[in-house]
Amino acid sequence: MASGVLTASHLSRRFGDRLAVDDVSFTLAPGEIFALLGPNGAGKTTTLRILAGLIAPTTGSVEIDGQRMGPQSAPQLRSRIGFLTEAPGLWDRLTVRDNLLVYARMYGLPAPRKVVDDALERFEIRDRGDDRAAQLSKGLKQRVALARSLLHDPRIAMLDEPTSGLDPGSAREVRDLVLSLRDQGRTILLCTHNLDEVERVADRVAVLSRRLIAVGTPASLRSKVFAPRLRITLNQPAERYATVLRTAGLSDVHVEGPVLLVGIAHAAMTTPDVVRYLVEAGAGIETVMPEEPPLEDVYLKLLNPSGDAS
Amino acid sequence: MSRALALLGKELADLRQNLAIFVPSVIVTVVAIFMPVMVAVIVPAVTGERLSDSGDLEIALEMYKKDPTMRALEPEAAIQAYVFQYFLVMLVLAPITSAMSVAASSVIGEKQARTLEPLLVTPITTLELLGGKLLGALLPALFVAVISLTLYLVVVAAVAANGVFSVLLGPRTLGVVLLLGPLASMVALQLAICVSSRVNDARTAQQLGIFVILPIPALLLGQIFGGIELTGPLILWIALGLFLVNIGLMWVAIRLFDRETILTRWK
Repeated sequence: MASGVLTASHLSRRFGDRLAVDDVSFTLAPGEIFALLGPNGAGKTTTLRILAGLIAPTTGSVEIDGQRMGPQSAPQLRSRIGFLTEAPGLWDRLTVRDNLLVYARMYGLPAPRKVVDDALERFEIRDRGDDRAAQLSKGLKQRVALARSLLHDPRIAMLDEPTSGLDPGSAREVRDLVLSLRDQGRTILLCTHNLDEVERVADRVAVLSRRLIAVGTPASLRSKVFAPRLRITLNQPAERYATVLRTAGLSDVHVEGPVLLVGIAHAAMTTPDVVRYLVEAGAGIETVMPEEPPLEDVYLKLLNPSGDAS
Repeated sequence: MSRALALLGKELADLRQNLAIFVPSVIVTVVAIFMPVMVAVIVPAVTGERLSDSGDLEIALEMYKKDPTMRALEPEAAIQAYVFQYFLVMLVLAPITSAMSVAASSVIGEKQARTLEPLLVTPITTLELLGGKLLGALLPALFVAVISLTLYLVVVAAVAANGVFSVLLGPRTLGVVLLLGPLASMVALQLAICVSSRVNDARTAQQLGIFVILPIPALLLGQIFGGIELTGPLILWIALGLFLVNIGLMWVAIRLFDRETILTRWK
């Protein structure tokens, strides 16, 4: 396996009779956003906790910067990780500033007050620094929690459901923060149910359902699950031209008014061939676009290959 | 060590914002002060019957004859001094109550507020975490012990007969409240931390603190009816016993505080 910032090798975790995680392996490259997707109970949080050294795997290993996670090395390796838990986990009676200050001291940072001031500035929460955490909205709490998890400038940020329960505006702010972290060269492991979010930010996606079902870029997962399709918009009714394409040997042709949806995966034809057939038959073509199924369809198809993704 | 101190700072800051947690300690202190005042001052004043005339306090009179520090006192004052010394043991309940309230909500409070997982992600070790929690409960308990003792002595100086205050202000009093009090508080709070690590309900942890509280009224009754005298050497033996129990509990607490179990049984 290629060396990366973090390498998970054959991780399994059993709780009594229940196998929560089964033989999961992947590597995180520097500066990438890696999304871990899966249904409830798929083992995402368990995987994240194993990677953060909070719980030990039953079998398998985790390496961070080539150093193996174990009982002795875990405290030191944890300082290279920023971990955003699913719940913000702020001490409600303490101010935002004091919440962050405790963690700055926990990480043994020099000049903790300055570090906290900088974090308040960077995460645009300076004006709320002296408010008690209990007074903050859910979105602001999540922002403070994110600031807390990155106080010590970790190379890897593990974010468990960072936008869960947030309104669209707050969710967008958190997503922008995640993207800015990548721009700063940090590696981000994102654990989420929000496929739209994954679509927008993730470089690679892993689908987990106890076992790792698939890993790859969103585009590669799409092409793995769904055949390449074209969306051809004509300036006239398309039914007649569907017959032309079927006669030419394409079996996967659907019509939606003036639009032709054409599967070309298993055909000997390429996109220019299809366009040529249509033009020769007198079709007026307005646009030709690759048809991209939503990631949700890809995800559902991966989880249930025999089922209907849509 | 710096991580334990950071956690201690957080615990104390949190307590400053949650002073209601000390209400049980305040009630215990008031009761512990009121009971001897009732027995030694109010009842004799209301009934007109002097303590030294009562046959129920013959033990105290016998001790009065034996104890050289009491010889300068009038019989009535000497019996008051004994009553106030007997009930001094009840004052130990104040810091214990405080320690139990703080410690029982400590680990469980973190669990319930879901603040424990972010804490466990930091490089903090179990020893540092428990040390910070322990000190965070012990320091307020010590503060409560000092305040309650000061109040007790002020009340004695105000209402008791001449000479009682100076007899009470001795090493025995300080030993009971400032040595046995904190040591018993530590037992209570370590027990609470042990239980907190394994249950999800702060009340369960507090209820088990009864095992620490029960011997104290028993000791009071033993003094009054059983002729047990809380002498300097006895105080030191009890302190040694409590110290050893504390060492054992510390060992158990570290082993019981299993991060994985705490995280994975978290509901």
